[in-house]
Amino acid sequence: MLSLLKFELREAFDSVPWTVYYWIFFAFQYFVYGQLVSRLVVAVSDYYVYYGTGLIIIMTFNIGSWAGRRFVESAHEGRLKYILSLPVTRGQLFLEQLLLGLAVNVVRVGPPLVILSILGGLPSSVLLVSLAVLLLMSVGVMGIMISLSFVAFKSFDIYSAIVASMSALLLRFSTILYPLAFMPTSYAAVSLANPLTYGADLFRSVLGVDANQLLSPELSAFVVIAVGISTLTVGTMLVPRVLEGVKSS
Amino acid sequence: MSSSSENSVQTFNLTKSYGEAKALDSLTLGVRRGEILVILGPNGSGKTTFLHLISTVLRPTSGTATVMGYDIVKQPLKVRESIGISFQDPRGFWRHKPYHILSFHASMYGLRGEERSKAVEDTLKDFELWQSRNKRFMELSGGQAKRLEVAKLFVHRPDVAVFDEPTAMVDLEGKRMIWDMIRQLREKGSTVIVATNEVREAEYLADRICIMKDGKELVMESLMTLKDSITGGDVVDLEMSAPVSEEILRAVRDVPGTVRALQGGERSLRTFVNRSEDWLPLMMTAMQGLGVRVSSIRVSEPSLDDVFLHYTGKEVVQSHA
Repeated sequence: MLSLLKFELREAFDSVPWTVYYWIFFAFQYFVYGQLVSRLVVAVSDYYVYYGTGLIIIMTFNIGSWAGRRFVESAHEGRLKYILSLPVTRGQLFLEQLLLGLAVNVVRVGPPLVILSILGGLPSSVLLVSLAVLLLMSVGVMGIMISLSFVAFKSFDIYSAIVASMSALLLRFSTILYPLAFMPTSYAAVSLANPLTYGADLFRSVLGVDANQLLSPELSAFVVIAVGISTLTVGTMLVPRVLEGVKSS
Repeated sequence: MSSSSENSVQTFNLTKSYGEAKALDSLTLGVRRGEILVILGPNGSGKTTFLHLISTVLRPTSGTATVMGYDIVKQPLKVRESIGISFQDPRGFWRHKPYHILSFHASMYGLRGEERSKAVEDTLKDFELWQSRNKRFMELSGGQAKRLEVAKLFVHRPDVAVFDEPTAMVDLEGKRMIWDMIRQLREKGSTVIVATNEVREAEYLADRICIMKDGKELVMESLMTLKDSITGGDVVDLEMSAPVSEEILRAVRDVPGTVRALQGGERSLRTFVNRSEDWLPLMMTAMQGLGVRVSSIRVSEPSLDDVFLHYTGKEVVQSHA
């Protein structure tokens, strides 16, 4: 399994400009757009930090989504059937895909997180715990996206449409860019049903963002762990059946 | 059929369905240790599905199979350790280089260090890919990509090597090279299964040929036995002085000993007959009766193409290698 992981990591990081682009995109959004928008949003205390952490959560979500989509694309490109023929169990393959996504997450999100923690004067222990929370969130997102792969084997277009719609809704109906307390009641009710809300609030709790703007860290931790375990379980059970049952491309 | 203990691969009512459609329908066959079995069939006959099932890429809907004694449903990991498959379409590793692709493949089968480096280098040279070892996969030609796909199985030499159309997209010289390499693989102890719809490939490689259609095995024998099995063991090609009319066709079919008569071109007929030496005088008399002169007669054994046509009713791709 480690050989497979190494092989796929080589490809994932083959494009250095793409990784650097992630960092530049974060820096631009944080240092330019973040400065501007934080002057407009005065109701939320220290919105600049709130916004910066939100950007990191969006990056984490996007990478988790990428990892899931990549898994599906590999089936359509004909790579997956080759991997399925190699001497690894389906469970190991699923785990390898998760580790790949986590590794990409660490490399792409790590530097922006370090910048935030340096600017915020946070100790390295906080940095590590916050990274762990991000990775846990990433597992949940990847699990959902990979588990949805059964749709893709019927129609890749429908899968893409579902993932795009779901991503838009999950990102917007959440506390990623605005706290729950400032949302209209109906909007807040929907956001409370969104696991990303709990992930975002847990991440900010660890980084020391104003607790009055966040859900309780205990509840958030419970939801994030529960979602991570659920999607892992569903994925482990569902994916092998789906992969071996579909007509290969 | 030989007993399953002599077989590297043995299937038992192996079936794969997609909804109502059966891609493979209760297939029971055995592949003997150390033989090259060529599976010949038109597109959609179930060849690829069969290969994917025994390689555990797909899971059967019902029935099962063993590979080197391991059950594909109950012991898939053991099966994967024993079998290697070269796929029909070499795709998916766009950014990787041939050296890394083979090195990775070797590592998955436990080759390490010097042993792996040597196996990869030798294989790249054998398949004339050494000069392209540092090109990206997406920069390879179609033929090079296909050779690389086939070459994977030569790095670790599995007990059972499975090739799905190994010479599709490969030039004539490359085809011959791959065929020779596949035969070498057999000589080194691997059992080889090749799925193809190229007659030449089947004739060149096969110890036995399995003809499939609609997910079922129609027949599985050696080439000689297959040729002998056709009723009307002689093929007689006739060239007429006049266009072949219905009347001529009917007269030829009515000649005692005619099994089948097909119109080839405007003036040509292909007939399958019993004992051509007895049949030819009778046919000549019948043509004289119609006032038709036979300008050319060629008698031959049935080709694999004829065998295939006989069993499936479809013509196969004729390679000119």
